[in-house]
Amino acid sequence: MNDDTNFKHPSFYPKAEPDNSHPISFYLIAWLVLFILSALSYYIDYVNLEGMVRWVLITILALLKAGLIVSVFMHLAWERVALIYTILLPPILLIVMLAIFANDGNAINVLRYSLS
Amino acid sequence: MQDAELNQTFYEGQTIHHPKSWLTKYVFSQDHKTVAIQYFSLSLLTGVVGVILSMVMRLQLGFPGLFDISPDTYYQSITMHGMIMVIYLLTAILLGGFGNFLIPLMLGARDMAFPFVNMMSVHFYALSVILLFASYLVPGGPTGAGWTLYPPQVLLPGTPGYDWGIVMMILSVAVFIIAFTMGGLNYVTTVLQSRARGMTLMRMPLVIWCIFLATVIGLLAFPALLVAGIMLLLDRLIGSSFFMPDIFQFGQHVTNVFGTEYEGGSPLLFQHLFWFFGHPEVYIVALPMFGIVSELISCHARKNIFGYKMMVWALIAITAVSFIVWAHHMFVAGMNPVLGFFFATTTLIIAIPTAIKVYNWVLTLWKADIHMTVPMYYAVGFIFTFIIGGLGGLFLGNVSVDVELSDTYFVVGHFHVVMGISPILALCGGVHHWFPLITGRTMNNFLGKIHFWGTFAGAYLIYIPMHYLGLGGVLRRYYDFKGLAYVSDSLHDMNVFITLASIVVGLIQFLFLFNIVWSYFKGKKVEKNPWKATTLEWQTTTMPPGHGNWPNKLPTVHRGPYDYSVPGASEDYIPQNVPLEAETEGGSSHE
Amino acid sequence: MNDLVKDWSSDVSTFKIRWSKAMMWIFLISDTFIFGTFLISYMAIRLTVVDSWPDTSQVFALHVGGTDVPLLLIAIMTFILISSSGTMAIAVNAANKKDKRKTGIFMLLTVLGGIAFVSMQAFEWTKLIVDEGIRPWGNDFGAQQFGSFFFMITGFHGLHVLIGVIYLSIVSKRVLAGRYDGIDDYQIVEVAGLYWHFVDLVWVFIFAFFYLW
Repeated sequence: MNDDTNFKHPSFYPKAEPDNSHPISFYLIAWLVLFILSALSYYIDYVNLEGMVRWVLITILALLKAGLIVSVFMHLAWERVALIYTILLPPILLIVMLAIFANDGNAINVLRYSLS
Repeated sequence: MQDAELNQTFYEGQTIHHPKSWLTKYVFSQDHKTVAIQYFSLSLLTGVVGVILSMVMRLQLGFPGLFDISPDTYYQSITMHGMIMVIYLLTAILLGGFGNFLIPLMLGARDMAFPFVNMMSVHFYALSVILLFASYLVPGGPTGAGWTLYPPQVLLPGTPGYDWGIVMMILSVAVFIIAFTMGGLNYVTTVLQSRARGMTLMRMPLVIWCIFLATVIGLLAFPALLVAGIMLLLDRLIGSSFFMPDIFQFGQHVTNVFGTEYEGGSPLLFQHLFWFFGHPEVYIVALPMFGIVSELISCHARKNIFGYKMMVWALIAITAVSFIVWAHHMFVAGMNPVLGFFFATTTLIIAIPTAIKVYNWVLTLWKADIHMTVPMYYAVGFIFTFIIGGLGGLFLGNVSVDVELSDTYFVVGHFHVVMGISPILALCGGVHHWFPLITGRTMNNFLGKIHFWGTFAGAYLIYIPMHYLGLGGVLRRYYDFKGLAYVSDSLHDMNVFITLASIVVGLIQFLFLFNIVWSYFKGKKVEKNPWKATTLEWQTTTMPPGHGNWPNKLPTVHRGPYDYSVPGASEDYIPQNVPLEAETEGGSSHE
Repeated sequence: MNDLVKDWSSDVSTFKIRWSKAMMWIFLISDTFIFGTFLISYMAIRLTVVDSWPDTSQVFALHVGGTDVPLLLIAIMTFILISSSGTMAIAVNAANKKDKRKTGIFMLLTVLGGIAFVSMQAFEWTKLIVDEGIRPWGNDFGAQQFGSFFFMITGFHGLHVLIGVIYLSIVSKRVLAGRYDGIDDYQIVEVAGLYWHFVDLVWVFIFAFFYLW
C-alpha cells in the first residue's frame, strides 16, 4: 500500500472511464428532440395559450430541455452518482428562495393595491 | 537532487516550479503558504483601519461634539467599518489566510489544486482593497448607508457618497467576490480531489471540514450579493428602478441620473437578496472559527474531540439550514408577517447543531489533561463569548421580542459578541497555535496573555453595557443622542464608559500585532511539532515546510486526526501518518 | 446508493474525475445561483409592480413580409444556440476518440454559432432601443422594470456567450496546434464543453421565463 510507484491517482486514472463512446447519431437525436421541444414551446406562444395551461406547459418543456442538456450533452447521466447528487442538490436552495420571494413579492403587490 | 525530485510531475499534468527571483517568490508566488501569508498581512492591515474607524465612532458617541466629527464622517465610518470587518478582514483572513495555509498541509497535498488561480485570487483581493479605500478619493467620499447598503437610502441625496461612493463600494465588493470565487473553487476542489492516501473525509481535521463547508456556503451565497450589487449599480448608473420605489424627497419625486422618475421598484427585494447572502456570511465567518477552536481544544487538552462524527454532521446541518434563516434580519422591515413565523422557527432550529458543537467542546475538556497554553486561553474564552452571544441571538430570533429590540444597541452588542469578539479570540488562538509552523518561532506567551485578558475582559465591558443600552431603547446608527428625552443621563454615562473601554481594548489589539512582528524576529526558536499535535501539517520534514510541503513522497494517513493520550502508546499522541502496526499496543485508532 | 457512500468515504479523490472538470462543475453550480437569483428577482419584481407587464410576444415580434411574427428572432437564436451545443457535444465526443482535426473543426463551428448568437442579440438590442424606444427607465408597453430586466439578464447571458466564444477559440486553436497531445487526453475540451452547454442551459430558462411567460 505504501508503494509510491504503483500508486495511481484516481482523479487521473479513473477505474472505469464513463461511457463516452456514443455514436454521433446519438447526439443528433438529442439535438432533434431539443429542437422539437423548443418548437413546441414556441408553438404555445404562437397559438396564444393563456393562464395556467401556458405556464405549466412552458415550465415542463423548459425543465425537459434542461434535463436533456444536463444529462446528455453535459454527460451527467454517465457520471458517478456522488457527482450527480452534488450537482443536483444545491439548486434546491433556489427553490426555497423562489417560494419566499414569490410570497413576499405577492404580499407587497397586495399592499400596493390596497393603498392606491 | 531534492529539487530534481520535486520538479518531477507529482500528479500527472502538474509540475512544481521553484520560484527564482524575489518577485516570483513574494509577489507572484503560487505557493499556497506565501499566498496565505499575503492574505494574512493584507487583511490584518485592512483590519487596523477598521479598528481605527470604530474608534472614530466611539469618540463621537462618548463625547459628542468634542472631536469635531461630522455626521458624514460618522456614517462613512460605520459603513466602512462594517464592510471591512465582515468581508475584507474576517472572510479574507479565515478563508484566504487559514484556508490557504492549512488545507494542503493538513490534507497532505503538495499545493492547492490550481496554484495559478490561487495567486490570482490574492491579487484580486488586493485590488478590491485598493478600490475600497479609493472610495475616500472620489467626490463625496465613501458611501454612508451602513454596510447593508439598503436602497433607497443609499441612492438618496443627503446620504454621504450617494453618487460615487456607492459605485466604488459595489465595484470593490464585486472584485472581492471574483477573488473569493477563485479561491473558493480551489479550496473545494483541493479538499474533494487531492487528499493524501488514507485521508478519507471522516479523517479530516475539523478545521478543514469547517473551512470546506464555509467555502461551499460562500460559493452559493456570494452570487446573491453580486446580483444585488449589479442591480443597485444599474439603478445608480443607467436609471433602472429595481430597488427604487416611487419616492418623494422635499415634495419632489426622486429622479435617476437621467432625470426621469424612479418608480415601482422594491426595496424589500434588495433586503432579501442582501440577507440571502448576509446570513450565510455569518456562518462563513463562524464555521472556520468553530474549526480552529476544535483543533485548539483537542490538541491542548490532549484528548480526542468528543463526538467527531456528531461534530461533522452538526456542521453539515448548519451549512444547510444557514440558507433558510435569512429573513430574521427583516422582521420589522415590512415583509409579509406570515414569513416571520417560518424564519423564527428555522432560526431557533439552527441553534440546535450549534449547541451540539458547544457541548462537544465542553465534553472534550471534561476530565482532560488541559494545558493552559495561550491558545487554550483563547479557545476557552471563545466558548464563553460565543455562548453569551448565542443567548442574545435567542432574544433576537423571536419575532415578538425582536420588534422591541430591533435596531437598538442590543443588536449591535449581540453581533459584535458573535462576530467581533469571538472571531478575534479564535483568530488569535489560531495564529498563536500555527505561528511556529509559519515562522519556526513561538509567539511571546506573556504578551499573548495580556492580549487575551485585555480582549476577553474588555469585550464584556464594552458589549454587555451595549445590550443594556439597547434594552433602554437607545437606537443604533444615531449620530448624537443630545436632546432626546428618553435617553437618560445614566445612559449617556454608560456611553462614555463604553467609549473609554473600547479605546483600551482597541489599543490592546495593537499589542497582538506587535507580538507577531516581534516574535517573527526575536521569538524563541522551536523544534518540530512544539505542541505535539497529531495532524499532518506538523509532520513535515522541515519546519516551516518548504515549497511543495513534502520533499519526497506524500504522507499516507492511517488514523483519525485526534489520537491524543492513546493508552499504551509510547508518547501521549500518535500522528496521523504513523501506521497502525508501529504502535502495537495502542492500536486503538479513531476513525 | 452503494456507490454514493463508497465515493464519499474514499480517500484521495471523491469524484474520481480530473481536477479541472471538478472545478468547472463547482463553478457552474455557483453560476447557476447567479442566474437563478437574477431570474428569481425578475419574478419578484414582476409580482410586485402595479403596472401591467408588457406582452412579450408583441414587443419581440419581427415584421416579416407584411405580418408581425411573434418571437421569430428569439426562436432563431434559440435554434442557433441549441445547434452550437450539439456541435460542441460532437467535438467532445471526437476529443474522447482523440480525433484532433474533427475536434477542432466542430469547436470552430460552435464558436461560429456563438458569434451568430451574439450578433443577433446585438441586432435585437438595437431594434428594441432604436425602434421600440425601450429604455431601462421606461417603455411604452408597461412596467418600466421590463426594459431594465431585459437588458440586464440578456446582457449578462450575452457576456457569458462572449466569454465562451473567446474561451472556445483559444482551446480550439490549441487543440489544432497539438498542444494537448498526450498530456491531457483532451479533457480540457470536455471542460470547455461543460461551460458552453451551461450557457445553453441558461438560455433555455431565459427563453421560457422571460420571453414566453
